[in-house]
Amino acid sequence: MRMITMGLRQALLLAGALTLAVTATAAKAADPSHAQQFHEEPAIISTLLVDRLEHRLKDGENTLDWDIKGFIGGDSDKLWLNAKGSKPVESGAEKAEFQLLYSRLISEFWDAQVGVRHDVRPQPQTTYAVAGLQGLAPYFFDVNAQAFLSEDGALSARLEAEYDLLITQRLILQPVAEMNVSARRVRELDLGRGITDIELGLRLRYEVAREFAPYIGVNWERKLGETADITRRHGEDASAVSFVTGVRFWF
Amino acid sequence: MRSNTRSLTTASLLAGIALLSAPGFALAGAGEPGHGHAAAIGEPAKASAAKRVVQVELGDNYYKPESLSVKAGETVRFVLKNKGDFLHEFNIGTATMHAAHQKEMAMMVEHGMLTPTGINTSMSGMDHSKMGGMAEMKHDDPNSVLVGPGETKELTWKFTKETALEFACNMPGHYESGMVGKVAFTR
Amino acid sequence: MNTASRGLSRRDALKLAVMAGLAGVVTAYPERRTFAATQQTLDLAVERSRLTIDGATSRGIAIGGSIPAPTLRWREGQEVVVHVTNKLDEPTSIHWHGLLLLGVMDGAPGFNGYQPIMPGETYTYRFQLRQAGTYWYHSHSAGQEQEGMYGAIVIEPAERDPVRADRDYVVVLSDHTPERPDAVLRKLKLGSVSEGYYNRGKRTLFDFFQDVDRDGFDATVRNRLDWGDMLMEPTDLADVTGYSFLVNGKGPQDNWTALFNPGERVRLRIINASAMTIFDLRIPGLPMTVVAADGQNVVPVKVDEFRFGVGETYDVLVLPQEDKAFTLFAEPIDRTGFARATLAPREGMSGDVPARRPRTVLTMADMGMDHGSMAGMDHGSMAGMDHGSMKGMDHSAMMGMGTGSMPGMDHSAMPGMNHGAMAGMDQGMAKASDRALGWADAATPPGTKALSYADLKAFSKTRDLREPAQEIVVRLTGMMSRYIWTLNGAKFDQGTPIRVAYGDRIRIRFVNETMMAHPMHLHGMFVELENGQKDRLPRKHVVLVPPGQTTSVQLTADEPGEWPFHCHLLYHMASGMMTRFIVERRTASL
Repeated sequence: MRMITMGLRQALLLAGALTLAVTATAAKAADPSHAQQFHEEPAIISTLLVDRLEHRLKDGENTLDWDIKGFIGGDSDKLWLNAKGSKPVESGAEKAEFQLLYSRLISEFWDAQVGVRHDVRPQPQTTYAVAGLQGLAPYFFDVNAQAFLSEDGALSARLEAEYDLLITQRLILQPVAEMNVSARRVRELDLGRGITDIELGLRLRYEVAREFAPYIGVNWERKLGETADITRRHGEDASAVSFVTGVRFWF
Repeated sequence: MRSNTRSLTTASLLAGIALLSAPGFALAGAGEPGHGHAAAIGEPAKASAAKRVVQVELGDNYYKPESLSVKAGETVRFVLKNKGDFLHEFNIGTATMHAAHQKEMAMMVEHGMLTPTGINTSMSGMDHSKMGGMAEMKHDDPNSVLVGPGETKELTWKFTKETALEFACNMPGHYESGMVGKVAFTR
Repeated sequence: MNTASRGLSRRDALKLAVMAGLAGVVTAYPERRTFAATQQTLDLAVERSRLTIDGATSRGIAIGGSIPAPTLRWREGQEVVVHVTNKLDEPTSIHWHGLLLLGVMDGAPGFNGYQPIMPGETYTYRFQLRQAGTYWYHSHSAGQEQEGMYGAIVIEPAERDPVRADRDYVVVLSDHTPERPDAVLRKLKLGSVSEGYYNRGKRTLFDFFQDVDRDGFDATVRNRLDWGDMLMEPTDLADVTGYSFLVNGKGPQDNWTALFNPGERVRLRIINASAMTIFDLRIPGLPMTVVAADGQNVVPVKVDEFRFGVGETYDVLVLPQEDKAFTLFAEPIDRTGFARATLAPREGMSGDVPARRPRTVLTMADMGMDHGSMAGMDHGSMAGMDHGSMKGMDHSAMMGMGTGSMPGMDHSAMPGMNHGAMAGMDQGMAKASDRALGWADAATPPGTKALSYADLKAFSKTRDLREPAQEIVVRLTGMMSRYIWTLNGAKFDQGTPIRVAYGDRIRIRFVNETMMAHPMHLHGMFVELENGQKDRLPRKHVVLVPPGQTTSVQLTADEPGEWPFHCHLLYHMASGMMTRFIVERRTASL
């Protein structure tokens, strides 16, 4: 346990150091002799994208779900902060995950990322080391593949892919798929071994502006294998269909 | 079909060039009083008939002087010296005639018979027997002379009556660039 | 409201230039007040300003109190002294685009010892004018050029002008956005978050069905897969949209008007001072005779339209005979709007606004895909082309073909056709005018002529006919989706500068490996475009290199210094598409 805490602390230190490094670069860019010469290394930029902020209407308890990403950095090096979670409308959060990642350009379409993930919910709170690849696969599939090593040494992985199908310039249909895999059973988190769950979504958004798009859609979640058994043993459904309404916006 | 049209055009253009570039031939044509508009713009004359000589410098792309004044009935011998790098024309006519002639000249340049700097010798070195068949081209009154870079040529012209005339170079783009001057009639 | 202006006749201009003596004559916008500076010097302040376009007011930066900045009318041979005072709260600079001068006077911060002009400071430019023609000046700092810091320079020749005109107008085209330049750049760089932010012409599901209908399912799917595989958008013609397109600072509704009397010879000095916009420009009903390109005289060539790269200038003559209004119409290649002005015998007149041209769709040929032969270009720009009709193609149609989109073509397979004319074949072909294919396709109607680089022929002979001693390959590269633009794969100051020996004859080969056209600009020296004109290579300061193509230029490295060499698309330069071109004197150390 002590060692693990150290691990976390080191991870946080690393993140801190990265932040400092980025800030230092930003400071350099802010030096007037550099910053005003547009053709010098471009300034540090940052953004915050609320990719999904939605209400899920389903059999049983309705939830509020979010998926938020932001970064600060330059062309090659960035610091990403991701937050993702779900909360029943009537009660506290069931899932709440945060990631702090250092991201490095490795090709035109791909970034390699390393960092930490900390889940506040479900309990017990868990910290993971993260290594991943984020980018654009041929045929315009946005892909995010991440591997996690928990403080207990449990290895898991997540693969997300989405695609924007333009019906018109503003009306966009977005299929999304997500799959989680665990290398071993994690009793505390009710996870079995193998593929733990998949999620398929289809969202239709209308870009009022590029920065703001309300959407509607359907989402289907299904727990699989051991995980599904565990869920059923708790008396819950292994699958759920929900109708979603939400907004996507960024700054 | 298209190629036929083209060879015909080519032939007539060649004849046109020959007319323009061979002063002897042009003067031969001068023997016949002009038809239609030619009469209005005046007529060619023998150099000996001219009492007045006007030196005109042809440059890239201008004339010096920029305008001329003549009297109705006057015969003028123009001595045309090309001090530029490009081929130039000295053509007396109305603005409408020049506009029409510009199209022909553009065609000649496109077909390679004229280059910006001179007459394509491989094409203009044709023998007169071939030109014999082009008698119908005679209606191109010899109101025009082509002067190559460094060359000096002459044109003697009788301005029979007062009319709106311009002297102009109809090489592509030269007229547009301002290589044109007014012929003013004085009393 | 029409703010018409009085053009300067050549004689007036000369008179003014003489009156001005050593100083400049300033023509200011929008009223184009004309006055002759009596003092020896010219003072220009740079300050925040506002401009109103078609009734909408937004912020900008003015030089000398106007946007565009005052037209500077000078005379070849005179020494010019300009005091530039920075009244902004950020550094600024003024670069004299196309002028031959000492490096420190060139006005590009970080080069040749020139430092940006800091807030509150005044910098004195002093240089002798060694050339005549139409040029321009603009900020070389941050995104200030986009914000309004651009203006025309007209230098009367010391000797006789080979062009005579009754009226002489400056026509400055530009693109204006109410967005701040740094905000634009940020959006371009946000990548996966803002992806394709400014492209509102992406291919949609409807386009897919339309294409299936026209080209068949297989061909359409194959086409989509080809582009998808490369992760590129064939509709990606311009990076930034939301622009208003201006003529002398006026929007299409404002309708800047130039007056003429029928029969007069009107010289238009047209400058593309846009930050990002390549235009197709025409004056329906009025053929234009191009007499100068980038300020340098060319053998006159008559055209109906031309494609206009950022930073380039063309002087054209028009001879309107009729008593009617003509519309000068410039459409950006992505067809997101238009710039419009009027040539009219009287104020308040306006001509017809012509029908908008279709937006082209890029082809695999624009990617530099080598399809080996014409037959293999099944989904390239040759699609729809009737091979049979090529044989009967007449010369006039050939001449109408612009610079082009067929890099992969095997020229040897097409005897009798010259290289220059082949490029961009599709442009001249009679084709359904509602659809354009390939970068070079401006949807030029059959029977009309678009200027091609191959048509440009220097008015005076090439002075240096030596074989180049050195050949430099400059690959135009980038990561479009990241909005990182590079030369030879390196961002500015991360790559190796180009070094050449003073006095040497140099060849530069631009190899465009991207799917966008790049107007490449070298400071300090003219380049001579290798366009097949042998001893009359046209001298240019900007060379527009089409996507997927190779363009070569030569130059004599006779201006020592460390010169900026960059893409003149503002945001390409800003994101790294720039290098140093160093002309070094040979040292005796070896």
